[in-house]
Amino acid sequence: MNAVEIRNLTKNFREKQALGGLNMTVPVGAIYGFIGENGSGKSTTEKIICGLIHASGGEVKLFGRDLTDGDVRAKIGVLIEAPGCFKNCSVWNNLMIQARNLSLQNAEERVREVLQLVRMEGAAGNKYKNCSLGMKQRIGIAMALLGEPELLVLDEPINGLDADGMRIMREVLTDVAQKGCTVIVSSHILGELEKVATHYGIVRGGKMIKEMTAEELEASCRTYVALQTGDMKAAKALLTAKYARVEEDERGYLRVYDDEKAENIVAYLYRYGVVVHEISTAKIGLEEYYIDLMQGGK
Amino acid sequence: MEKTHGLQFEEPSFGKRIKGMLSVDFYRLFHTPLFYIFLVIAAVIPAMILGMTSMENAEGVVEPLYTNTWQVIAAQEPLYAIKNIADYANMNMVFIFGGIMVSIFIGHDYKSGYVKQLFTTHAKKEDYMLSKTAIGAFSMACMCVTYLIGTVVAGLFVQASFAVSVVGIFSAILGKMLMSLGWASLYVFLNIIFRKYFGVSILSSFFFGTGILIVGIATAAGNTPMLNVFLYGSSVYACLSANFLSVLVCLAVSVAWAAIYNVLGTVVLSKCDVY
Repeated sequence: MNAVEIRNLTKNFREKQALGGLNMTVPVGAIYGFIGENGSGKSTTEKIICGLIHASGGEVKLFGRDLTDGDVRAKIGVLIEAPGCFKNCSVWNNLMIQARNLSLQNAEERVREVLQLVRMEGAAGNKYKNCSLGMKQRIGIAMALLGEPELLVLDEPINGLDADGMRIMREVLTDVAQKGCTVIVSSHILGELEKVATHYGIVRGGKMIKEMTAEELEASCRTYVALQTGDMKAAKALLTAKYARVEEDERGYLRVYDDEKAENIVAYLYRYGVVVHEISTAKIGLEEYYIDLMQGGK
Repeated sequence: MEKTHGLQFEEPSFGKRIKGMLSVDFYRLFHTPLFYIFLVIAAVIPAMILGMTSMENAEGVVEPLYTNTWQVIAAQEPLYAIKNIADYANMNMVFIFGGIMVSIFIGHDYKSGYVKQLFTTHAKKEDYMLSKTAIGAFSMACMCVTYLIGTVVAGLFVQASFAVSVVGIFSAILGKMLMSLGWASLYVFLNIIFRKYFGVSILSSFFFGTGILIVGIATAAGNTPMLNVFLYGSSVYACLSANFLSVLVCLAVSVAWAAIYNVLGTVVLSKCDVY
């Protein structure tokens, strides 16, 4: 069974089409990295899943049920943009308010648990307005986790977080996923997403252009050889003449994307008098894969 | 309860849902300074009206506008059109304060993003309408009480007459308190309609709260019992000559409008995007 199954989802805001027949499948227990440019339809899709906005067409099933079913809604935890908190209330009171809205029996105990989970036990008495951006994001996650959700929908939860905040967020996501919770997380920080996601969905112009597992991504990511030489200009000319795809990266290294062994490249350049100073073999990451895909898959 | 592949789904009952939502809304109400400010205003206004208003008579002598304390609570008889400003400035003003209170309360729900947090849980749109209506009605009923206290204290202070029919004053006050329910539901509905435009919400609450529409109709069509089926018509019907029947009319009108506005509000919320 899938946690989320979306078929041919459309959404129009007056004349503007935000989603144009999006399909999406999120298996139970997955951490689903939802990727796309600004305005590609990620947030709109997430808001539809959460019941905040209505779809213009298509079908959305959550755990095989209609998304409007009250029993399914009770099992969704959400953080869309910033958490909806009262700025003059303490962190504790904001969480208690949400706990009451969720009709939790053991509200205080549960609030304590989620505060511990997001490493914010010491900040329970702080007023929300005095919390840093990173703390606010963690409060949002805590709120989303209060009802022990089966599905967690997080829109850009790591935006604005410092390195420590990102680490905590990573640990929290891994923790909840290990307990069987399905997580949909959208983010532009692909390097971070890559560390936790088990599945990916890449959306563009309101349509899903690629869905894959982390293993499939791994398999699709090509290896490349990165090198630095004494004469980069000559090296580039020589490599471009022999290999189909040669690029210069942001560090000034030359990358050869053809499946060629590093020693063969060193030998080839050496034959023409170009000495290689440094060479390594690596695989492109999610970010580069995504950029490649967006540029039409060079 | 149904079990699907190890996942348990259980929809909370209406009672459980509304209990949670009401407890949050009452908590917020009691922690909203504006609520207490309006309670004080509701007490101070009648005292100011009773103690500070005066009018020059035909002989040029300045006399107090109100000689009987209870005139500040309600008019002597049902008055739809404004004949005398003294008959208009009464407990009905509470409904204007209540409108502003509801606008600010709901406006804050949207501004803070609380509705987003709320409607992503099992909360239903009808629960929201009911809870906000209850809060609005409760706050207006409380304002009626402080208005009454302010009136009595000011009446004693300026030594105005307290002569009145007990049934009349009791029916008038009870009738107006019961009307709080209908007014609250109207304001909640208006605020749902104009939820994205806070200024328009406040203005619409003020416009309807002052009863300008009914006063306008009554001026053109004359006083007619048919106007009682409207909120403002019914609230002016709760006057010092009211009786048990008047209270029943107020109750029936209030409940009927509350039901209508709650249904309409639920439909609007269900059809429109929340956030």
